[in-house]
Amino acid sequence: MILFNKQLLDNEALNDEADKLYKGGFIGKKQKKIIEKELPVLKSQHNILVRLGFFLLGSFLYSSICGTISLLGLSGENVFFEICCYLFAVVGFVGAELLAKQNYHNHGLDDAFILGALLNLGIAVGITTDGYEIVIALFLAAGSMFMFLRYLYLWAMLVFCLAVSALLFFGMFEFGQIGKAILPFVTMIFAAVFYFFTKEKIKRLKVIYYYNGLLLANSFCLILFYFSCNYLIVRELSVELLGTDVKPGSDIPFAYFFYAFTLIVPLIYLTQALKTKDRIMLWISFLAITLSIYTIRFYYSVLPIEVALTFGGIILFGIAYFSIKNLKEKESGLTFRPDRINHSDALLNAEALIVASAFGMKPEVKPETSPMEFGGGGFSGGGSEGNF
Amino acid sequence: MKKFSEQASQDLFQKGLITENQFNEIQTYKSLQIFSLNAELKLFLYLSVILFTSGIGILIYDNIDTIGHIAILSLLLIVITVCFFYCFKHSKGFEKEETKFEHPVIEYLVLAGNILTCIFIGYLQFQYKPFGEHYGLATLVPTIVSFFCAYYFDNKSVLTIAITGLAAYVGLSVTPQTLLGNNDFYASQSLSYSAVILGVLLILWTIYSRKISLKTHFGLIFLTFALHIISIAAISNLLNYDIFIAMIFAVVLGASTYYFYKASYDYKAMSLYVFVIIYAYVGGNILVFRIFENIDFSELFTLIILGLPIYFVGSIILFIKLIKNFHKEIAI
Repeated sequence: MILFNKQLLDNEALNDEADKLYKGGFIGKKQKKIIEKELPVLKSQHNILVRLGFFLLGSFLYSSICGTISLLGLSGENVFFEICCYLFAVVGFVGAELLAKQNYHNHGLDDAFILGALLNLGIAVGITTDGYEIVIALFLAAGSMFMFLRYLYLWAMLVFCLAVSALLFFGMFEFGQIGKAILPFVTMIFAAVFYFFTKEKIKRLKVIYYYNGLLLANSFCLILFYFSCNYLIVRELSVELLGTDVKPGSDIPFAYFFYAFTLIVPLIYLTQALKTKDRIMLWISFLAITLSIYTIRFYYSVLPIEVALTFGGIILFGIAYFSIKNLKEKESGLTFRPDRINHSDALLNAEALIVASAFGMKPEVKPETSPMEFGGGGFSGGGSEGNF
Repeated sequence: MKKFSEQASQDLFQKGLITENQFNEIQTYKSLQIFSLNAELKLFLYLSVILFTSGIGILIYDNIDTIGHIAILSLLLIVITVCFFYCFKHSKGFEKEETKFEHPVIEYLVLAGNILTCIFIGYLQFQYKPFGEHYGLATLVPTIVSFFCAYYFDNKSVLTIAITGLAAYVGLSVTPQTLLGNNDFYASQSLSYSAVILGVLLILWTIYSRKISLKTHFGLIFLTFALHIISIAAISNLLNYDIFIAMIFAVVLGASTYYFYKASYDYKAMSLYVFVIIYAYVGGNILVFRIFENIDFSELFTLIILGLPIYFVGSIILFIKLIKNFHKEIAI
């Protein structure tokens, strides 16, 4: 099912490993060059900025091709409007196939065509079925699974996960009130079952190709599990879907269960992540803890926001300070020393950017001259979109 | 992942691409099973500083009339003094090269102390007006303090605050969100000129610092700011209805593209290079439209639409070539 040459994919894995070893200082620069020369790989862009740039260019190309087709089809009948999105989706699939044949993988161009194809497929099915969600989700799930299996495209896996979840939700809605009422529990069980299913799959995996996709699905299940019974989400959704009005003094059914769930699950994630040394789970647990705090503050805001921020800052500082103090000298296992092999300091590089956004100084006096009208504004980025 | 990583190093060894010594070293290191919380804990420190200073900022803003001014000011002063006391105690003093604190916490104390100082001066100005009506001075003083902190303690985050302060003194807002979002005041002519001049000054300072090898690792930050300020000011003005002014800024954009193209090779900085070619591409396209804006194309409309895919394929090939070339050059 995989389109790419297996040899090149294997080389990719070896090159990644060599890259890590080089960054960790185990091998020299010259040796890394030799390895790179010995093991040719697919055409991919590792720099996120470059990939984003190519994604934009690819999107321009895609929409300009669609524009050309529309121009030719516009003279035809009304029928064109009903099938145009199918045609656009076909363009996307063909483009993705051609790019993959040229060994483009995670390059930015292929991102544009694969995601564009899926988007157009969704719109096309939506037009045909008059926006019947279950069918749209079904087609999207099938399409994205195909993309993942054939082109090993990671984000298609995310689309697949979202589509399957949507399928579950809209499927439950079909059962009317009962379906909506038991939705949190069904989702919870669904997420748990698929979490262990994907985990088992990863354990049994012989080759690395599908590893990242399965890992993504696995993490998605963790997040879905937490969201399924988070008090804030359950309460707001039950107001939205069931139309129940929660009066002061009363609460939603099983409120204690949801409270306990909201508080306990992040802590379970945290301890489990530290025990199994699972970095992704660790990050999910951080996010879950944040959301849990937000949930509580949403209904019981005991402290005004500024005091909460100040004290939160002090407490967080204390936690970080004492953890660093304890972990600083450890040589193995859990430690504060930077890992030579797995760097995760991409975030730290963004620090300066965040500071500039949050605390950058702005001029005190606004320029007095009003912004003047400028004439050629309509020309900016002209022709970049295919729709007219 | 562990399984596959082990497999990969085994394969590299079997293919004879790494030596046995290296392989053994890697195996021993991996057997330590290191799980580093370095980035996470640093991020926590960082978040705590942001939370704390934001909290203080809102606290002052909300209660500016109720709590005694002296109380707030003295409380701030105490916190600032504590922060800087620890910083100076642990600092090795000023050095021209890149320095690092032994204890990572201090770096974040510098940041906290600096932001609080800015808040302190802003509050002082708001309440007691020590600088009178010279609002510029009220911006300049925190900027100078920030520059001092950035250079003395070698702190990049503080440096970015200092640069935004400098721009604010000139009358520009160069925080990332305003640069990307609504920067409508670039349409004001004099501000565009000051933006370009500020950018040029930043470049000159970078060149000078490099010559006397003063904190050369700051160069990339200065250049990044300079590139974005100059390019965005120039591109906004390419749309000016006065064709003469538009042409002046086209020349500015051309010159800056040339300089930063060279500089990005020099610094081996992909983040500069990508934006240089994006700005040049956008600017070039706008220029072409400006030149042909008076010609009536309605007859050729269909042809243009049909030609667009070919144009984009051409652009893509060009960009792929440029990126490939860059990778090849910096690899040496």
